[in-house]
Amino acid sequence: MMDNFDYIKAGSLAEAFKALSTKGARLLAGGTDLLGCARDGVFPVEKVVSISNIKELKGITARPDGGLRIGALTSLADIAADASLTRKYQALAQAAAAVGTPQIREQGTLGGNICQRPRCWYFRGDFLCLKKGGSVCYAVTGENQYHAIFGGSPCFFVHPSDAAVALAALQAQVRVAGPSGSRTVRMDNFFVGPGKSIDKENVLLPNEIVTEIHLPPASGEVKSVYRKIASRGSWDFALASVAAVLQLENGNIRTASLVLGGVAPYPWRIGAAEKLLAGKKLDKALAAAAGNEAVAGARPLGENGYKVDMVKGAVEEVLAAIM
Amino acid sequence: MPEDPENKAGESNEGISRRGFLSSVSAGAVAAAALKGAPEAPAQEIHAGNKAVTINLSVNGSTRKILVEPRWTLLYVLRDAIGLTGTKIGCERGECGACTVLIDGKPRYSCLTLAVEAEGRAITTIEGLLEGDKLGPVQRAFAEEDALQCGFCTPGQIMAVEGLLRSNPNPTLDQIRIGVSGNLCRCGVYKNVFNAAAKASRLRVYKGGA
Amino acid sequence: MSEFYDKLEESFRRSFEPAAPPDDQMQPWGGTRIVGKELPRVDAFERVSGKAQYTYDVILPEMVYGATLRCPHAHAMVKSIDTSAAENMPGVVAILTGKSPGADIPWYGGKPPQSKLFDPHCRYQGDEVAAVAAQTPYQAWDAVKAIKVEYEVLPFVIDEESALKADAPKIHEGGNAAGKPMSMRRGDVEKGFAEADVELEETFCTSVQIHANGEVHGSVIKWDGNKITIWDSTQGVYDACMISFARTMGLPYNNVRVICRYMGGGFGSKLEMGKYTVMAALLSRQAGRPVKMMLSREETMLCVGNRPNAKMTLKAGVKKDGTLTALQLTNVYTPGAYSAGASVGFLVQELYKCPNVMVTESGAYTNVGRARAFRAPGFPTGAWALEQMMDMLAEKLNMDPVEFRLKNFTDVSQTRKMPYSSAGLKDCLIEGAKKFGWKEAKAMPKGDSHIKRGFGMAAGLWMMGSGGPPYTAEVRMFADGGVTIKAGAMDIGTGTKTVACMVAAEELDVPLENIRIINADTALTPYASSSGGSMTLPGLVPAVRRGAWIVKRQIFEWAAGALAVPTDDLEIRGNSVVSRSNPDKKRTLEELFRSKGVMDVIGIGNREPNPANKAIMPFGAHFAEIEVNTQTGEVKVVRLVAANESGRVINRKTFECQVFGGMVMGLGYALTEKRVMDRRTGKMCNANLHDYKVPGALDVPVNHEVLPVDLQDNECNNVGCKGLGEPAHVPTAAAIANAVYDAIGVRPNNGPIDSRMILELLSKKKRG
Repeated sequence: MMDNFDYIKAGSLAEAFKALSTKGARLLAGGTDLLGCARDGVFPVEKVVSISNIKELKGITARPDGGLRIGALTSLADIAADASLTRKYQALAQAAAAVGTPQIREQGTLGGNICQRPRCWYFRGDFLCLKKGGSVCYAVTGENQYHAIFGGSPCFFVHPSDAAVALAALQAQVRVAGPSGSRTVRMDNFFVGPGKSIDKENVLLPNEIVTEIHLPPASGEVKSVYRKIASRGSWDFALASVAAVLQLENGNIRTASLVLGGVAPYPWRIGAAEKLLAGKKLDKALAAAAGNEAVAGARPLGENGYKVDMVKGAVEEVLAAIM
Repeated sequence: MPEDPENKAGESNEGISRRGFLSSVSAGAVAAAALKGAPEAPAQEIHAGNKAVTINLSVNGSTRKILVEPRWTLLYVLRDAIGLTGTKIGCERGECGACTVLIDGKPRYSCLTLAVEAEGRAITTIEGLLEGDKLGPVQRAFAEEDALQCGFCTPGQIMAVEGLLRSNPNPTLDQIRIGVSGNLCRCGVYKNVFNAAAKASRLRVYKGGA
Repeated sequence: MSEFYDKLEESFRRSFEPAAPPDDQMQPWGGTRIVGKELPRVDAFERVSGKAQYTYDVILPEMVYGATLRCPHAHAMVKSIDTSAAENMPGVVAILTGKSPGADIPWYGGKPPQSKLFDPHCRYQGDEVAAVAAQTPYQAWDAVKAIKVEYEVLPFVIDEESALKADAPKIHEGGNAAGKPMSMRRGDVEKGFAEADVELEETFCTSVQIHANGEVHGSVIKWDGNKITIWDSTQGVYDACMISFARTMGLPYNNVRVICRYMGGGFGSKLEMGKYTVMAALLSRQAGRPVKMMLSREETMLCVGNRPNAKMTLKAGVKKDGTLTALQLTNVYTPGAYSAGASVGFLVQELYKCPNVMVTESGAYTNVGRARAFRAPGFPTGAWALEQMMDMLAEKLNMDPVEFRLKNFTDVSQTRKMPYSSAGLKDCLIEGAKKFGWKEAKAMPKGDSHIKRGFGMAAGLWMMGSGGPPYTAEVRMFADGGVTIKAGAMDIGTGTKTVACMVAAEELDVPLENIRIINADTALTPYASSSGGSMTLPGLVPAVRRGAWIVKRQIFEWAAGALAVPTDDLEIRGNSVVSRSNPDKKRTLEELFRSKGVMDVIGIGNREPNPANKAIMPFGAHFAEIEVNTQTGEVKVVRLVAANESGRVINRKTFECQVFGGMVMGLGYALTEKRVMDRRTGKMCNANLHDYKVPGALDVPVNHEVLPVDLQDNECNNVGCKGLGEPAHVPTAAAIANAVYDAIGVRPNNGPIDSRMILELLSKKKRG
């Protein structure tokens, strides 16, 4: 059950920055993740700063360069249903549709989805783990069937976001605002692995807020897909997921952008597979080779070796379906 | 109705009358349903801690002024402060769907919504789907298709379907399945829930509802 | 568990003198007017309108909320408890520890008792340490967090094999063996194996499944002097609450009123009184105010039961012609930290004809949450082993799995040594296979896609399902033809109230709308056993029919006298009794009643004993079609068909609904449900509904059919019905496992069969 906290409904970003500058202040957008963490006592919540009323952070609009701007408070349900996304940025619409449940998607926001905290059961549960200031990552020798096979050390959670995987594959940029101004961060650079930072998962400073996401123009023949594998059809995070964005030209792949979810502490770009695909005609053999390339360098723990096969199979299946 | 409507809590034959029950609830927790406008609820201060704030909540078309702690969920306020217990508590962490209500017409988990965040929004609960003493179309369809066993998840399922049909009056079977995929039913009556949702869609269309 | 049911079943047949011996035999119904129809539930309005009041919905004046402090360690000794800070927290009205007056209460039975309400020796993560009541649940939890406890953390053990090692941490004074190993022997298995042409042995493991019922456990307490009213989320207002509570607190039964009109699911986990009921009662005494104490979801995952895991080694012998010659099962399990039934062997002894059977089962205490009865305790687990083994044998013999099972069909119960009142297994197998299109399905080519289709089936029965005395129903007819039934029986979602009303309407020849039922209130309604063992319907409705019949007979006797016609010429039409042969001869009920100086007629129907020479068991055969994605490990159940024989179908709608539900729960058992314990700390990793994976709407097949098989069983009781809730669940998981094997050609011995398991099996197969 949640401890009590102060509550501030910010009318503007400036108000929010100010309110966020005290210790124990937490940002609330949709609240689906924050309230769960507060209830489980994952971190102290002394003040809740709600930005849910800041209207300018909602909605999807065209950008002058032909790309799209998505406000960070846009609901996942709106993203899943948006015609401009389902047409040109299918991977993102599919990823948004794969999140949680209809209720979570109505309430959850895009900004919140990429900033949500890990779902590792040691982090969420009553365990003083490395990420919470303890001395061990319980997953290393513990129940690690859902944990990372890439980039884990020293903390082996997997990033829970579906949207972030699609956004990374789509080469999205994140607009971040704080008291001293705004900056743009490439999705690939937004996350920080546990090797660099153990207590947080991204580059945000405590009083910074993700305000919008920019998608680059989608020109020419582009195929984009998000495929998620989970234990259940809803209310589940990915055991493994693949976002693939292929730029096609005369039946050949001009460029490929391939990112994995559910297998690493952040969306895991598989550069070797992208290189392998670039300039080639997609066929069954190439899809299989890309699957193999995708898992080169995987370092499974005791119980998550199956994820290697799963990723290989999923990459191959996704590419074969595009053929 | 062959069901016994009396003898609910507070009406034991040890002497608490229904009237007594209601008035004591309103003293303790703002059962303001019968009152017009937005009455104050001084007794509530006993319960709410020192961070308490007063909010106006619009529930099933009537607005209530309620003193709440910021941490109180909409679910808790609906049930224990207002007395609308049709919305159920299953997990209090957004994992079962029993607490589903409509907020501005969209299905959401009231256990993952702070009451303070629901201020200024239109909240609809299972009680709000009744048309006088008659069942609304979605409720009727659930009864007729036997889309329930223990019935505990049922109000949440019904609200999920109501929300789905408000945005999509003629859903396909797959859209229905996705629409109720945020509501667990341990009795496992999903097939009947799908049938009920399809029937509710027809009943609503017949009524000209959307 | 099976021992308990064995004794109970025996008592249903022999050890009761009927309280009011019927002086006239009721005849089985010929055609029926209402019974057998598809009708909506009589309490559907309440359940869909939000008006139904569950225990969680009870709000009383001045009521406060309880919360429990639980041991966060797998194994620890409480050294000291400091409640001083908590006492001064806002809203706190009462705090309870083992030292509070009246709180030193033995728990979990045994001699000496295994534990106490608050035992300083905490044997699992979740054992009760203290409790609080405060004005809001938030304040109650604040206070729980403010209680300071000093623990001596002890070494723990969470798996049954380590628990039995000599150097294992001792959980109970007497060691970690959970009772003596249970052994059952029929015939001579050595001889049986010697006669066999084919012999197979395989080990099958199942995981711990959690009930995860919708409404959490809990009670609301209100004292009036030394009388108490308890609203409890229970499966039995009498046995599971009133009687246990009265005995525990030293109160006369009469002072304890228990009410549970609506209950949000229990599946066995609410068949015994919870500590929360007693804690709430003690807190309420202390506070002088009503107390509501509902568990959190996490607490229910840890503390109020589960289906225990099993490690089953099954050896089977069979002749070339398909005749079983021997079955030998050994099982090792853990009931958790305290004793509980966990036997799985009955199905192996009973389902197929086999002269030589041996079952040995042993358990060990571990530092994990204790098991409780869970929907057909032991049976889905036993079926997981037996029904996979049956398929393995059929394959070895090159026989069709359905044919092979039919070959070993018997209409005589091998454990009861008497014929079944109706032996539905054969018809379930034949009719189910027909409905599913089994032969056609098995003949389908496998194709070369990486998505493999598989078909599987399994059969089952349930050892109880006869129901039996004691069950009493009061049927009361008013002068306007209205009828009120009073019965202590629960309606835990199975439709008890609806079928009771249908049976009364049928017998009295009145419209269903005339019948009203009041149930599950120990102050108002007559005794009923708890709703467990699929015994409520066959326990209750024969009593209802008898009560209705007594009412009808009384009215007809009066009318026969008044109209000078024989009683069998009479029927009830509207609010009158009318002669069939001469409809001009009639009397209104009001006239009849007034002439006798009464305004209502009451019939007390007692459940009569079961036939002494028949075994009464329900049967089922389930069929599954699945797809396995061999690249990603995903398993999708495409189609499920159930053929279930549970005697007469009272309401086709609620029958189907319950079978769907049983199969969905079986689907979860087969594919996703598993308690995960952390080996390093002995704590549960997935004590919530996200990490513990109950199937949702997208995990169940849309193509889902139920075939009721009715063999007109007129011997089991006066209505001809048997229980359904449990047999509807028994074979499903094994059928899915057999389908998985059919799809990928590797046997999934261990459940649940999640994507990880599939990929590991396939990888093992590839490596050879």
